[in-house]
Amino acid sequence: MIDERDHPLDELAAHALGSLDASERADVETHIASCSACKDRLAEYQAVAASLPLGLEPVAPPPEAWTRIVSATRGRRQRPSRWLAAVKWPAIAAIFALVVFWNLALERELSRRSPGPAPGPEVEALSRRPGRVIILAGTGAPASSARIFVAVDGGGHFAVSGLPTLPRDRAYQLWFVRSNPPATSGAIFAVDRSGRAWVKVTTPASLDDVRTIVVTEEPASGSPAPTGRELLVARPWP
Amino acid sequence: MGAASSSRPFPGTNGEEPTDLDLIQAMRRGAEAALEALYRRYGGLVYTLALRIVGDPELAREVLQDTFLSTWAGREAYDPSRGRVPWWLMGIARNRAVDLLRSRSHQARLRERHDEPSPSSNPAVASQAAAQPEVALRTSVRQALEVLSIPQRQAIELAFYGGLTQVEIARELGEPLGTVKSRTREAMERLRRRLAPLMDRKTERDRD
Repeated sequence: MIDERDHPLDELAAHALGSLDASERADVETHIASCSACKDRLAEYQAVAASLPLGLEPVAPPPEAWTRIVSATRGRRQRPSRWLAAVKWPAIAAIFALVVFWNLALERELSRRSPGPAPGPEVEALSRRPGRVIILAGTGAPASSARIFVAVDGGGHFAVSGLPTLPRDRAYQLWFVRSNPPATSGAIFAVDRSGRAWVKVTTPASLDDVRTIVVTEEPASGSPAPTGRELLVARPWP
Repeated sequence: MGAASSSRPFPGTNGEEPTDLDLIQAMRRGAEAALEALYRRYGGLVYTLALRIVGDPELAREVLQDTFLSTWAGREAYDPSRGRVPWWLMGIARNRAVDLLRSRSHQARLRERHDEPSPSSNPAVASQAAAQPEVALRTSVRQALEVLSIPQRQAIELAFYGGLTQVEIARELGEPLGTVKSRTREAMERLRRRLAPLMDRKTERDRD
């Protein structure tokens, strides 16, 4: 029997349902890193949560749904993705490290942000997933730095600081640069008065042939391909 | 569809139907047909879950597609020790669905439709066909949920399908956070006790 006074049983149940916020999740991960009873209990709750959808009345998806999936995967080179191959489903200690790292990184970002709309739910979603952090260096804008987080299940977020604010007819654009052009646009954004931005990024369905990530300056409505010079570039990864 | 790498597409143990893990491994060898097999197996469940969360068939289809594209892109990352393949799929789907749900305006959410569309005639997706253990689990889940009190069931649904944090649920219900948390835990405890004997973290389908 797990003694309630010492163990966060309420939080274990909520965690398994995906109903904790980022800091509560971190607390749970910290606790279970050294408590196997709670780690096992959480696993049992997760199994319960995973079986909940079986209680729903089944609905078949429309036939065309599969067609779109096929056409998106077809023609891709079949070698494993360099990006995602580096992301393993980590052991508990590594989950803890990842979540703590992300929470620290997020708190730093949030505390440094000037007043403005907070990321809100995106922040919660961000720290929920396993994924990969890529650092971008300000090769073309020396005062700037940025990081992008690409989740294993797709979607990503980009945080940048130190970029100059632009006139109304200009914007920054983030690109996934491929070996076969054209580059894919991930986001068009502006920075706030302090030169910072936090944006959701549209990641391509496959990252297999992405060579690097860059940020350029473009017209305010964006460009179909990069025209400005590279301001930030992702550092090469192994 | 890309050609499979062996004459028999997905070797299963003893010539039987491939396990989920067999399909993942075939996907790692580049067999897109293995992704299709996984889709036929679990696409219905993923779509049902997505539809329940986002409440809109178009959005649910988007979640379904994103989930299987992510499954393909992340096929190296799946770790069997973390749990069964369908759980992995549903985790991806639920995260994506909740992201979509939370990024919509409240007005759009209030327009969420509750009527469920009639099942499509697409025979490729096994929305009804399931191995015997799955059918037993489905029945048991429904029965277990019916045994919960209304507030307990609501707590589970607001959290899991509504994508709300405990704090948000407390606020929405106008109840103390501690009450919501212990109610959620009591509900999960009751479900755990009823369902644990039926659940093996690795089933016949996963064992290799």
